[in-house]
Amino acid sequence: MNTPTPSAPLLQVLDLKKHFPAGRDFFGRPRQWVRAVEGVSFDVHRGRTLGIVGESGCGKSTTARLLMHLIEPDEGRIRIRGQAFGHGVGRHPLTALRKHMQMVFQDSYASLNPRLTIEDSIAFGPQIHGVAANAARALARDLLDRVGLKPDVFIRRYPHELSGGQRQRVNIARALAIRPEIVILDEAVSALDKSVQAQVLNLLAELKREFDLTYLFISHDLNVVQYVSDEVMVMYLGQVVESGPVAELYSRPLHPYTRALLESVPAQTPGERRQHAVLEGDPPNPIAPPAGCRFHPRCPHAEPVCAQQVPALRRVTGQQVAACHRLQPDSGYSRVITFEELPA
Amino acid sequence: MSHPMVEVRDLRVTFRSEEGPIYAVDGVDLDLAPGETLALLGESGCGKSVTMKSLMRLHPAHKTRIEGSIRIAGEDVLAMNAGALSRLRGKTVAMVFQEPMLAFDPVFTIGEQICEAVRRHEGCSGADARARALEMLERVQIPSARKRLDAYPHEMSGGMRQRAMIALALSCQPKVLLADEPTTALDATVQIQVLLLLKELQREMGMSMIFVTHDVGVAIEVADRTAVMYAGRVIEQGPIDSVMRAPWHPYTQGLLAATVHPGMDRRQALNAIPGSPPQLTRRIPECAFAPRCTLASASCHDPLPPARMDGDRLLRCIQPASAR
Ligand SMILES: Nc1ncnc2c1ncn2[C@@H]1O[C@H](COP(=O)(O)OP(=O)(O)OP(=O)(O)O)[C@@H](O)[C@H]1O
Ligand SMILES: Nc1ncnc2c1ncn2[C@@H]1O[C@H](COP(=O)(O)OP(=O)(O)OP(=O)(O)O)[C@@H](O)[C@H]1O
Ligand code: SF4
Ligand code: SF4
Ligand SMILES: [Mg+2]
Ligand SMILES: [Mg+2]
Repeated sequence: MNTPTPSAPLLQVLDLKKHFPAGRDFFGRPRQWVRAVEGVSFDVHRGRTLGIVGESGCGKSTTARLLMHLIEPDEGRIRIRGQAFGHGVGRHPLTALRKHMQMVFQDSYASLNPRLTIEDSIAFGPQIHGVAANAARALARDLLDRVGLKPDVFIRRYPHELSGGQRQRVNIARALAIRPEIVILDEAVSALDKSVQAQVLNLLAELKREFDLTYLFISHDLNVVQYVSDEVMVMYLGQVVESGPVAELYSRPLHPYTRALLESVPAQTPGERRQHAVLEGDPPNPIAPPAGCRFHPRCPHAEPVCAQQVPALRRVTGQQVAACHRLQPDSGYSRVITFEELPA
Repeated sequence: MSHPMVEVRDLRVTFRSEEGPIYAVDGVDLDLAPGETLALLGESGCGKSVTMKSLMRLHPAHKTRIEGSIRIAGEDVLAMNAGALSRLRGKTVAMVFQEPMLAFDPVFTIGEQICEAVRRHEGCSGADARARALEMLERVQIPSARKRLDAYPHEMSGGMRQRAMIALALSCQPKVLLADEPTTALDATVQIQVLLLLKELQREMGMSMIFVTHDVGVAIEVADRTAVMYAGRVIEQGPIDSVMRAPWHPYTQGLLAATVHPGMDRRQALNAIPGSPPQLTRRIPECAFAPRCTLASASCHDPLPPARMDGDRLLRCIQPASAR
């Protein structure tokens, strides 16, 4: 479904950067830095779903937390409808940001206050944003009903009295209570059993239509990402290596890492079993990421230039962009190939 | 089928807890032939890990009741004394877990721990044990294996630790490997490496394997046969390709229909199974899937009869296989 996107993006992310200190010396100065997010930029248009994939530790959750300003970026800007948010001169305050954007986490238990009833948990956010207590409670009942939990049964319950799937529905209701336009779903269905995961995915699709929501969908399940996303962004060690419309990216991945990731998905029938692993070794340490292209130590196509020059993220075809020397004619890579030469 | 390597009949495991009994496993039948891989498939809390631990009698005796029968390599596991049990563990049956730190002691090096296992079970010298440890690390494709012998578990990456745990488990050449979600915490690109490695080692060593997973794709990658569990029971069992092609049990059908697979039409809602699995704090004599089953009829609330074999497949549902 590749309907032309309207011109101005709802969410614009520009050059986000975050390094975490790792270990401190005698004077309390950081000894090393984890380069968790290193210059991440992307746009999301209204009503779309952007899937974000990549191996553990590649910076997906850090990106999400930066967007929500749960942690302060070292650098970078976030704009919603063209308005800049965050700290600093001329920026809109964080409460305003969180009115536009909410987040649902993987761990349904840790994200609910164990001492609050379900009703109070959901009504809490709207009250912070100035809704009267009675109206907030009425809204909580409405939303519970909307996420498929009978208000009369659940409203007085505490988080430990719910199943994982029920808790995740409460978290979704809580995120929606503020009427955000953008919802970040960080592994929001990953901990759920498949039979329950399907219920929650269906619910997310319905709510998206009903409230005209825009999703950022972070998951390590590549099949689920394919099912829910309009666009997909692939991260490797803190950087975006490829992004594009879901159908194109899945049918003809540009970046060797995207290709390897997709070819690692387990088979669907015994006849399609994998015969060999595409990649050797583990993702490298984000404290000392490889120079040049960060993927070069594991890349089957690496050449000397890959260890020296950082490939820029560039458009390759249509709306597909990738950061790979092999696809960029002026990069100094000896056997540059065109999009047409890439195997499907 | 040749002489079974593992044969489990009507296994029931009940735990005593402060809130009363937990009927974690309530009627499990399993068969595993020599050299065969069985995928034990099911959702969280359905009793997969409890079943695996029962095969090695790893549950605390004072708060666990185990009934039924377990035979491994012809021996009655539930009748074993302490000496026989310690020979069983590691030598006949070994286990790998989702979390490798469960298998390793953080204060000893990887090499020390493999050597110790080899010495205990095979009674060989220190030098021979070290040679075996090195050989095992090489076989699981750990780079610079000699150096890694002297590494501590926390000094390795997730994928490497998982390989080291496999090396430890296989160091005494067990006849049966119990693999409890050993790849669930790994990244996709590393998961497939470890799955392929396990299959290759299994072929080389002629082991049988029970592979626990909740991921249908992973089961398809590794298994010859599959047993599907729901609420403490095996409800369907058979060759993986025929079960995947034509599942019989309404739960297996629902699970496969609810699982997102590549190229699915995004405009279409998923076929979710309504409701969620039951609590196991009550013994459920009837079919535990009945509250969620679209085929349920009045007789589904009567006590559930034993499983039926139909050719090479097993089904635990009052509706005959031919009704599908
Ligand atoms: N608060 C923190 N302090 C130090 N390091 C951190 C912190 N948060 C994240 N990191 C590090 O930053 C890197 C990126 O982590 P992040 O949680 O964003 O990864 P992710 O892509 O979400 O991974 P996963 O798939 O495992 O959730 C990792 O190396 C992580 O260890
Ligand atoms: N030692 C114990 N004492 C009491 N209850 C237990 C014990 N071990 C497991 N259980 C309970 O037994 C049931 C089955 O647990 P089990 O660990 O076998 O599930 P599982 O199928 O392995 O699930 P998962 O996919 O989440 O690992 C659960 O309800 C669990 O809470
Ligand atoms: S830039 Fe070089 S190393 Fe990096 S992905 Fe492309 S070919 Fe591989
Ligand atoms: S026994 Fe009845 S309720 Fe259970 S799976 Fe079969 S048809 Fe459904
Ligand atoms: Mg994360
Ligand atoms: Mg388990």
